[in-house]
Amino acid sequence: MSQNGFKPKILGFLCNWCCYAAADSAGVSRYQYPPNLRTIRVMCTGRLDPTFILRGFVEGADGIFTGG
Amino acid sequence: MPATYFIDPNACLHLQHDTCQICVPVCRSRAIDFTQKPVEKELNVGAVIMSPGFGRVPDEALTKYSYGKHPDVVTSIEFERLLNPSGPFAGNVLCLSDKRHPKKLAFIQCVGSRDLGCNNGYCSSVCCMYAIKEAMVAKEHDPDLDITIYYMDIRTQGKDFDAAQKRAQEQFGIKFVRARVADVMGWNNRLKLTYSTMAGTHSFESYDMVVLSVGLDAPKSARELAEIGDFELNQYDFCKTETFAPLASSKEGVFVAGAFQGPKDIPESVTQSSAAAGIASGLLKKQRGKGIVLKSYPEEKQLAADEEARIGVFVCHCGINISSVVDVPGVDKYLEGMEGVVYHAESLYSCSQDAQETIKQKIKEHNLNRVVVAACSPRTHEPLFQETLKDAGLNRCLFEMVNIRDQCSWVHANEPEEATSKSKDLVRMGVAKARHIQPLAEQTVPVITKALVIGGGVAGMTAAMNIADQGFHCTLIEKNDTLGGNLNRVQHTVKGEKVPELFKQLSAKVKKNKLIDVQTNTELASISGFVGNFHSVLKTAKGKKAEENTIDHGVVIIATGGREHRPEKVLGAPITYSDKILTQQELEIRLAGKGKNRAPKSVVMIQCAGSRGDDLGYCSKICCTNAVKNALKIKEINPDYQVIILYRDIRTYGYAEDAYREAREKGVIFIPYEMDNKPKIETKAKRITVSFFDPILQDEVAVSPELLALSVGIVPEGTETLSKLLKVPVTADDFFLEAHVKLRPVELAVDGVYVCGLAHSPKPLDEVIVQAQAAAAKAAIPLVRGSVSVEPIVSHVDKDLCIGCGICTALCPYQAIQMVKGDDKKPKAETIIASCTACGICASHCPTFAISMGGFTNEQIFSQIKAFGEEKEE
Amino acid sequence: MAKKNKAGTVMVVGGGVAGVQAALDLTELGFYVYLVEKSAAVGGVMAQLDKTFPTNDCSL
Repeated sequence: MSQNGFKPKILGFLCNWCCYAAADSAGVSRYQYPPNLRTIRVMCTGRLDPTFILRGFVEGADGIFTGG
Repeated sequence: MPATYFIDPNACLHLQHDTCQICVPVCRSRAIDFTQKPVEKELNVGAVIMSPGFGRVPDEALTKYSYGKHPDVVTSIEFERLLNPSGPFAGNVLCLSDKRHPKKLAFIQCVGSRDLGCNNGYCSSVCCMYAIKEAMVAKEHDPDLDITIYYMDIRTQGKDFDAAQKRAQEQFGIKFVRARVADVMGWNNRLKLTYSTMAGTHSFESYDMVVLSVGLDAPKSARELAEIGDFELNQYDFCKTETFAPLASSKEGVFVAGAFQGPKDIPESVTQSSAAAGIASGLLKKQRGKGIVLKSYPEEKQLAADEEARIGVFVCHCGINISSVVDVPGVDKYLEGMEGVVYHAESLYSCSQDAQETIKQKIKEHNLNRVVVAACSPRTHEPLFQETLKDAGLNRCLFEMVNIRDQCSWVHANEPEEATSKSKDLVRMGVAKARHIQPLAEQTVPVITKALVIGGGVAGMTAAMNIADQGFHCTLIEKNDTLGGNLNRVQHTVKGEKVPELFKQLSAKVKKNKLIDVQTNTELASISGFVGNFHSVLKTAKGKKAEENTIDHGVVIIATGGREHRPEKVLGAPITYSDKILTQQELEIRLAGKGKNRAPKSVVMIQCAGSRGDDLGYCSKICCTNAVKNALKIKEINPDYQVIILYRDIRTYGYAEDAYREAREKGVIFIPYEMDNKPKIETKAKRITVSFFDPILQDEVAVSPELLALSVGIVPEGTETLSKLLKVPVTADDFFLEAHVKLRPVELAVDGVYVCGLAHSPKPLDEVIVQAQAAAAKAAIPLVRGSVSVEPIVSHVDKDLCIGCGICTALCPYQAIQMVKGDDKKPKAETIIASCTACGICASHCPTFAISMGGFTNEQIFSQIKAFGEEKEE
Repeated sequence: MAKKNKAGTVMVVGGGVAGVQAALDLTELGFYVYLVEKSAAVGGVMAQLDKTFPTNDCSL
């Protein structure tokens, strides 16, 4: 990715109980990962209406990440 | 691991030599105050719970394995730290001598346990488990690591523990060697471990590292505490208790919980703690609520529907945790002029007490009606800030947290610019959401302050008694015509305590108690509702007819128990039960009788005759102790009678190890067998022949005992039906599955439903009693509160928009939406807030957007998405 | 202990996982608790553990 300078904008929807918690513990363990992700916390990925994903692309996301 | 820094008085130059004090001006929060001195306080309390934990085994037990002499001999807790990512080598396992990666590693079990040399005759009950755990984690770090565990018996008797041991052996390739380790010595730059096997051969092996599985000793302060608290200790300096009252010390009002009662693991400690809390709660029920101080809040400020958002944003430095990576002043400056933001500031530690005061003050000063904190994770800190909002008279839901530490500065430590721009984006998205957040009402559901206990064995009776002791009504149902369950059969404990006496006293107390309604011949037919509001139909058999009655109650305790398994085949041989082939329980009853020939002149006992095999996959935990108990009884009747016990691992954990040792001293013969060379049972013309391999003689032996006693294991009763009725899961072995195996051992996945006794897993009498007391304590919590509070993030149906299609009711995994008749007589969805977990599946599938989630509305999420796409303006 | 003189408070000696759990349950059951711990922080031995058997999760 860095070779051609492409820096994707990624929007993430994270489940409070698993993926958001995992992202927290990644921090606690000081794991390093690329800074392209912007996240929205939901109580469960069951909350995700498909329009959230489509709206994310409309707003310019290069990719959508859902973790639950 | 203190949550905050503290001064080690032994190392502090000021406290030792009256110099230094550099820390005082350096601390930016001015949190160091050397004027504080120790003070003595006198407290008037109604009960005391002793939970001082355990101590270290004597050094002699360790030094004989070169601990302290060779740096590569470490204790299990030191090895645990080596494995930990926050440990000395950041999770790399390295030899302390020269920092090389060990290739070969050995664990030595029973260091300081089962060892009269250091007066620790008991088994510490946890070492086998942690050794296996550490070995598996070490293998995860380095799959090529060669690990051997030297043991006497592998005692993984707990629930699902054997499966983990099997995994360690079969999947991870960890070797288990039954041997006694004589010593460990330095050998060039490695270690030489000498061991002897049962066959009497001595061998040695070289290792890079040796881990000592150190046992649990009594706490160092045991004698001092016993003197202060005026209670007795047992021979090993742990708190002395009785099987029938496992948590009561010899002093009234002083209870014990955790490892001080006897070595034990986390779930059992947690269970004992809840149980002790429940007993104290019963003792002090008249004083309940009198000692507590309830916090009061100012009246909540009402927001007008069209009130403009006035947002205050606090950007946290978290000391240097955030600000060493993220440009915090830059983020703060970025907020200037952002829509809705009327105040923004940096904060050194936004979670500190003075920061809470600042937030409250700024809310008043700037008339803020929304607060955003950009700091760490809402999962850990949201409740703290919400509390501050309540203190400032704002609804706690008018708060949004932005995570710029755990999910930003910590994970992009080498990219400060990117981390800063990510922080700005996240803050912008958080503020966008904050513009749309609304106050949400606190919701509570009243509780019916009654309990239903299912099962009238020792677990059910104990739980019912404890519920009643705490002042609550309880219905106790039993499917048989009398109470007691297994207590009708068990005669005595391994310590010799008479079980029928316990039974008589307990059942009399239960029947006499006015708060307990005992219903025998009764089963649960159906149940509906949720925590605080259950409705059950009970079916009572009356001759050939059955009568039904309905009761309302707030909580359910499952104590349906288990029974002795009756395998048709044992070790491959078909079994016909007779007066010559008995189960251990049948033998126990026979031995307690008056018959002259009640004790057999010769007996062979076969352990794991049902458990740990193809029949029952698990260890039944109590059979080893029961076999030893019966063997001792036979030796008591006639010391010359022969008892041979064939076993895989003798699992007389804890103090039962004393009985095992006594049995060996009295001449009971214990012979281990392996699964690839099982004993053979033959019955021909009433003559029983058992042949087996004797590892000491190194030869096949055949004996024809007068009697064969089978340790057949325990199976749960009726868990399948009940799990369907209550919608609670069971394990693969049909025992109820607790909500969390370590920290919520008596709660089930459904709120308001608790489990205890053999329905949870096989266990001895004292553990059943404790677990029943713990379940009763946990069940009493909603009863004491009188209401269940619900997080305001649950779903809400707008009845005007609902078309009654029912998609949501069908999809809800928690049965938390019901259809009701609306004002217009048409069906409408309605949330049962006590059951809702706020997952939002209903909201995302509602075709008319009639369902919204508190704190996660469509509007709020869309505004976050929109803010995500907005160009940065600086 | 005279029955009429019972205080509605409980003292828990030791702040490891057992003591902390007892204190939490007691407060939920309506009692004021004095949790006494001799070291600088609660948590005890469990706080030093990396993972727990048999699930190998951290249980924190």
